Amino acid sequence: MVKVFVNGVEVEVDATSTILKAAEKAGVAIPTFCYHPRMDPAGSCRICAVELEDSKRVVMSCVTPVAEGMRILTESAKVADARKTNLELLLLHHPLDCPVCDCGGECPLQNMSFAYGASDSRFESHRNDEVEDLKSDVLVFNSNRCILCGKCVRICDEVQDVHAIGFINRGFDTVIGPPLGKKLDCEFCGDCLEVCPTGAITDKFVRYQYRPWQLEKTKTTCTYCASGCQMNVETEKEAIIRVTSSEGEGPNEGSICAIGRFGFSHVQSTERLDKPYARSFSRLVPTEWDSVIPEIAERIRKIAGTGPDRIATLVSPRITLEDAYLIQGFTRRVLRSNFIDSGARYGFMNAAFPIARATGTLRPMVDHQDLLKAKVILVIGADPTAESNITGLFLKRAIRKEKARMYYVGSESVSITARAKEHIRVLPGGEGLFAWVLSEEIAGEESSRHPEFLAKKEDLFKSFNVDPQAYTKLVQDLRESPTGVIITGRVFHRIQSASDAMESLLRMTNALGWVEKEGCGILPLPEVGNDLGVLMMGATHEWLPGLLDSQDPENKKKWEATWGEPLSYGKGGGLKEILEGIKSGAIKGLISFGENPLTHFSPNSEVREILSKLDLLVSVDLFQTSLSDQAHFLLPAASSYERSGHVVSVEGFVQALNPAMTYWGESLTDGEIVSRLAECMGVPFATRSTGEVSKEIFTLMPDLSPSTRNGDHFMGPTGNLILPTIVNQPPHKADRKTVMKRMASRAENWKSAITPIQPEIISGEGDFVFALNKSLFHSGKMTLLDPSLMKMESSAFVRINRQTAKKLKIKKNENVLIENSYGSCILPVELTSGVTENELQVPYHFDSPDLMGLFPGEINYSGTCSTVTMLRTRVTLKKIE
Amino acid sequence: MSQTKHIEVDQDFIENLCDEFGNREGTVVQILQRIQEKYGYVPADALDMIGEYLEIPKSKMYGVLTFYSQFYREPRGKYVLKICVGTACHVRGAGLLVDKVKEELKIEPGENTEDMLFTLEPVSCLGSCALAPMAMVTDTAYGKLSPDKMLGLIKDLESEHLSASEPA
Repeated sequence: MVKVFVNGVEVEVDATSTILKAAEKAGVAIPTFCYHPRMDPAGSCRICAVELEDSKRVVMSCVTPVAEGMRILTESAKVADARKTNLELLLLHHPLDCPVCDCGGECPLQNMSFAYGASDSRFESHRNDEVEDLKSDVLVFNSNRCILCGKCVRICDEVQDVHAIGFINRGFDTVIGPPLGKKLDCEFCGDCLEVCPTGAITDKFVRYQYRPWQLEKTKTTCTYCASGCQMNVETEKEAIIRVTSSEGEGPNEGSICAIGRFGFSHVQSTERLDKPYARSFSRLVPTEWDSVIPEIAERIRKIAGTGPDRIATLVSPRITLEDAYLIQGFTRRVLRSNFIDSGARYGFMNAAFPIARATGTLRPMVDHQDLLKAKVILVIGADPTAESNITGLFLKRAIRKEKARMYYVGSESVSITARAKEHIRVLPGGEGLFAWVLSEEIAGEESSRHPEFLAKKEDLFKSFNVDPQAYTKLVQDLRESPTGVIITGRVFHRIQSASDAMESLLRMTNALGWVEKEGCGILPLPEVGNDLGVLMMGATHEWLPGLLDSQDPENKKKWEATWGEPLSYGKGGGLKEILEGIKSGAIKGLISFGENPLTHFSPNSEVREILSKLDLLVSVDLFQTSLSDQAHFLLPAASSYERSGHVVSVEGFVQALNPAMTYWGESLTDGEIVSRLAECMGVPFATRSTGEVSKEIFTLMPDLSPSTRNGDHFMGPTGNLILPTIVNQPPHKADRKTVMKRMASRAENWKSAITPIQPEIISGEGDFVFALNKSLFHSGKMTLLDPSLMKMESSAFVRINRQTAKKLKIKKNENVLIENSYGSCILPVELTSGVTENELQVPYHFDSPDLMGLFPGEINYSGTCSTVTMLRTRVTLKKIE
Repeated sequence: MSQTKHIEVDQDFIENLCDEFGNREGTVVQILQRIQEKYGYVPADALDMIGEYLEIPKSKMYGVLTFYSQFYREPRGKYVLKICVGTACHVRGAGLLVDKVKEELKIEPGENTEDMLFTLEPVSCLGSCALAPMAMVTDTAYGKLSPDKMLGLIKDLESEHLSASEPA
């Protein structure tokens, strides 16, 4: 530690810190343009000049380290002169078109010019007059306004690791843009737009449509994926204009992905349901809440009156804790049913269930800070960038800045694979086997090793093309590394043996001693925003709120006491059992809150037919969906931009949603709908405000109290650093000591080697494995209605291995016929060296062509939890002549 | 000025080049130089291919490519007439040489002839001021030039090209 004086104020700072950081600690604002807290300093803009009192020298505070006893002046005459001169030079070529610039009003360059009165120049000015680069559908590059601070280029390199833009030309001619004069082709995270201190990069979707000071900012949480990004939804007259982020704030620290930043337009489209609809003579006709609620209530009463478990509910994992809590309460207390399932279960439950069993909690063992502390990171069957974008960013940072060694296990390459120390390819179907073999290798002692171990390991190398050397390297590194994190994702959670494979990983983690230390543990990536929260609230047949076994009489008693009424629901089940129940006639009613079971199954299946047997089918949604065709009632739901409540992030933060606009049309939240129904049915859980429900949840489950990431840096309007205040809040992660104890007792089960996992047999026929994956630009099906995101990715395509394409003489963008006995589809080709030779990858979101048609009619369920998973099928591939 | 079609880049050539240099810091300039040596310029497709093999971001390579004036992004003539217009050559009439070429070949500085035989490229200094005014074509320097000698040089190069393209 060294002592320095900033404008006479004494502060003690780390010997390695810069003058800028010392000033931050002293609470002194130094303006910056090129400095960014999350990137290496560049020292290029020369605006953070400060004077050293002793030597009378002017130095750049962002790149100058402090020294003992240093006296720093940040506002001396010399400094003011240096900054003013600098501004004069920066403005020499600037077009000064502030009146028409989107950045005007929130522009650090403008703010600084105002502050230093750099209105006249001693130099002959020459305004740049280059034409704007309008090629991209998303961003506009205006080189005239650019001050070449390079923040956009650096955030794209250092934070996003995308390298989409760079410096072009030299000297005065330098501009920023995508290479080769082509259209911008990137992940469209918009971070460059966010960090640009001028109007050089602007948002093409809303260009010239707003003045920043007229927008009303609402801080809220993004619910697309589980990263829990804090964002500012900016509105004007109830319409969302744009989404921005604040540097340093929330788990995302100021970054947001394409979906979060640009994917909001669909919620204000005319397609939104604005009224409730009821079916009358085979047509859905608009009606009023006052008539529709009693009507539904009456039909529920009729069905539920015949006994428990007659009506099922499906819950979207995008809704809040509060709504999930109310819906499960409604299901169990009013409908007297334990048939409740959620998108949060499909796939993700295969990870959540074994983890909850082993650790006693769904609070994650690791957060993103642990990633930065881990020496080894093993990513299995996951694409963190697409599934949980911020986890992806921290993973990249861990590799780049903390020198973590990342091993990627999976058949395909994703954007982060290039950064892996070793990409261990496992042919599709072998992932579960891999997890078992790896776990047995590490956790099994020679004496107790499963007799099948060697044969299985051989199988892994022979049948699934795993490179023995890479495998050995991984095993050695895992064994030797003091800390490590395992990240699992969508593919891993959806393989047939997913829950057993997760159990294997838990066993391995425990054997490695990766439980008690920081920077250690397993991080399963949820698929959607509030997967964790919805499960914690018991919107699943396995658990009552608080992860309590729903069939345990003790647990039932506990909630009976809380709710003040007896619970008489039955055994219940998930979607699998719900469909069976409807088929057999045991279940007569289904209420779907933002879920559409049809999208999870092949059209060859009998799901549509099964649903037609229902006496009551209610669909609560933002839009008409394929489920609406069969629904008796279609009720309009408020979107997450209109709701309040809380959601749980991948790191376990319980963060707030705040409404940026009022409810669309006559829409209501899911919680309000069930409250109204309950009220109408005379059940004493009366209509209450979301705030009251939150209070009930946080009182009953105190460990779930709101929390967010305490930032370690914030930025002011002139790019100055502001020291964040640390807020005391409950822990967001699982308590390591408790987890350790639980795991130790679980380890008894793991001592005698666990049953081997069989390789997965993928259905269908043909040489190719057809795999559905998550796109970077879409989240579920809803974003297909978003005009902005559709500009980034508008239709389905198939990714094919370059060598395979060469063999079959298929070129980029040509159409291919993909076929098996279940169905066929035609898709344009994208070439990549990323997928293995016999694999075809298609983003799953698009409805046309019907990708699900390639799957068998029998429904695939995976894991011991029987979750619905449609992941892969076998097909043939033909070039269309 | 003619806009000729871009050359089809030989994938094997790029692959060999990438194997030779590998993805190390500071290899980009050398790789680009070698490509230019072969094609006379750096075709955009080559950047795509290198980017894929070496995982060097295209934005980085393009930055290097546009930073150095030694690299060209458009095809150039078989004979690049580098006429020195540095101080020494300038005072000894380099301007007249440039004018002569412009007049004879109907091209402006930086342009190619339609048959892609010549490119006119005035350069700053070739370091042989004693030979002023001078020019350089491929690797040969021609000193103490005059407009007439320049014309002769062009004719010589034309016939050299003709005889080279005639069947043996």
